[in-house]
Amino acid sequence: MRFIGLRLARGLLTLWFAVTVTFFLVRLLPGDPVTAVADPNMTEALRQKLLADFGLDKPLAAQYLDYLGQLLHGNLGMSFRQSIPVTTVLMERLPWTLILTVSAMVVTIVLGIPLGVLAATRARGWVDRVIQITGVTAQSLFVPSVGIFLMYLLGVWLRWFPIGGAVDLDATGFAATLSMLHHLVLPCLSLVLIQLGGYVLTMRTTLIEALGEDYVSLAKAKGVRPGTVVWKHALRNALLPTTTIAGLQLGTLVGGAVLTETIYAYPGVGRAIYEAVGQLDFPVLQGAFVLLAAAVVAANLITDVAYGILDPRVRTS
Amino acid sequence: MTAAAVELTPRLRTWSAFRRNPLGVASAIVLVLLALVAVCAPLIAPFPEGYGADTSQPPSAAHWFGTDDIGQDVFAQVVWGTRVSMAVGVSASVLAIVIGLLIGVSAAYFRRLDTPLGVLVDLSLSLPVLPLMILVAALAGPSVRTLAVVIALFSWPEVARVVRSQAIAIVPMPFVSAAKVVGGSSLWIVRKHLLPGVIPVVGVSVVLTTSRAVLAEAGLSFLGLGDPNSWSWGTILHKAQQSGALATAWWTTLFPSLAILLLVVSTTLLSVAYNDARDHRNSS
Repeated sequence: MRFIGLRLARGLLTLWFAVTVTFFLVRLLPGDPVTAVADPNMTEALRQKLLADFGLDKPLAAQYLDYLGQLLHGNLGMSFRQSIPVTTVLMERLPWTLILTVSAMVVTIVLGIPLGVLAATRARGWVDRVIQITGVTAQSLFVPSVGIFLMYLLGVWLRWFPIGGAVDLDATGFAATLSMLHHLVLPCLSLVLIQLGGYVLTMRTTLIEALGEDYVSLAKAKGVRPGTVVWKHALRNALLPTTTIAGLQLGTLVGGAVLTETIYAYPGVGRAIYEAVGQLDFPVLQGAFVLLAAAVVAANLITDVAYGILDPRVRTS
Repeated sequence: MTAAAVELTPRLRTWSAFRRNPLGVASAIVLVLLALVAVCAPLIAPFPEGYGADTSQPPSAAHWFGTDDIGQDVFAQVVWGTRVSMAVGVSASVLAIVIGLLIGVSAAYFRRLDTPLGVLVDLSLSLPVLPLMILVAALAGPSVRTLAVVIALFSWPEVARVVRSQAIAIVPMPFVSAAKVVGGSSLWIVRKHLLPGVIPVVGVSVVLTTSRAVLAEAGLSFLGLGDPNSWSWGTILHKAQQSGALATAWWTTLFPSLAILLLVVSTTLLSVAYNDARDHRNSS
């Protein structure tokens, strides 16, 4: 339990850091810090009232404490353009982003493990070479380019999948679920293509290392079938570092989701960010960052704790 | 090997190993060509502005890369985009490297700073960077300089981590202790002993940080945070997205995408080739 407490403290520290960085960046940037809450098109009287409402006439330290207090109550301010709380705007969008990122993560792992095993067991062969080169290249792809390419190929040209939105609004019941999955394919696939390379390469390296360990030689010497040695003995031990890397890649995944949702008009938090950029809706931008940072911290915490339970070695390190 | 070959300095050995790697040389040539396009943009194509007569034309002899929905030449946009994309990439990377070097070397040399700086780097690396860059770039107002500074501001932690891990191996070396004993100041030791030791690692870092910065710039511009008065590869994609050309006019998105791919893949291959060339154990 001490392990969980430590990880929790670490998560909270990260979150506090994210919140504090945004608070001070918003106020220390050149220009009027007021732009963070007040629309430049407002009348002077309304602007003054809003400033007082947001407490922007108070000293910085007091503002900071107020801000933390509001955040603890889940208050991220008001959207300029929609005149509704930022929390409401984003919470409507969050489920879509979760569906997209979680499904992309699952597909990446499902494809990544066999590909990593394939590369590691045929290390230095031509299959391994192809996987390595493709992996390195895939890591240097620009997310919107991948999205646009898939959209042309599978959406516009072959017409297999819809190219925008998240669900058919007319569909109900089971048909709605099907339509949702149908709309999910292209954005999800774009994210998988971006993530897969790094995942497979890490998997390959750790698995090659694990295959050189003494317990693998012992298992082989005992006459355990080669397939069982790889899948049951070595892979289990190679999964741990790979998961740590996957945790570190969460930030990239979230960034990729922002760009992918923009391409496919997918109504998640990322698309909300794109719309907010166009409208200069700063509270939404700030809230979206805080929300996504919280999601990343939470996901990291869950993987850490799950692995701590599965693998006792992690708890002591 | 002849006597002359034995006298080769490590730097010359790296260079000769690098020259024998066709992928590395090809990447270097591509990068030099892109840099030339960036510098000579005014000689290659006129600055794309205003409205043209031929709107949404596919590629032809008159317009190599076709035209967009207001009749501007996409080839000209890509050529001028090379300038901004590379300028932002390189300047953001240089700035990030300088900050990363300072923080990384300080963390390795001044033991008391190591923990706080390490925590700072860890925390920065575990946040989703793109949404944070979007917020800051939107608040600071879109311009080429904003983009470079914002990208650098959130790219240095990775450099700092690499530099620290390299420098921490040098600090306990006898020559550093000797320098301390003879009364060398911290600044002098850092400059004379630590920096030369970490520079080779930084070489790879420069290349990778630049390609990441180019991708970040393209991402921010694609979302509409690019400089409204200039062209970058991301801006071209942003305009295509806004005009709805994304699903119809493939040429407006294909060519800027290829430009990004070309730059990023060649920087990645260049860094791989440089790393291989520096690793003298492979060559006998």
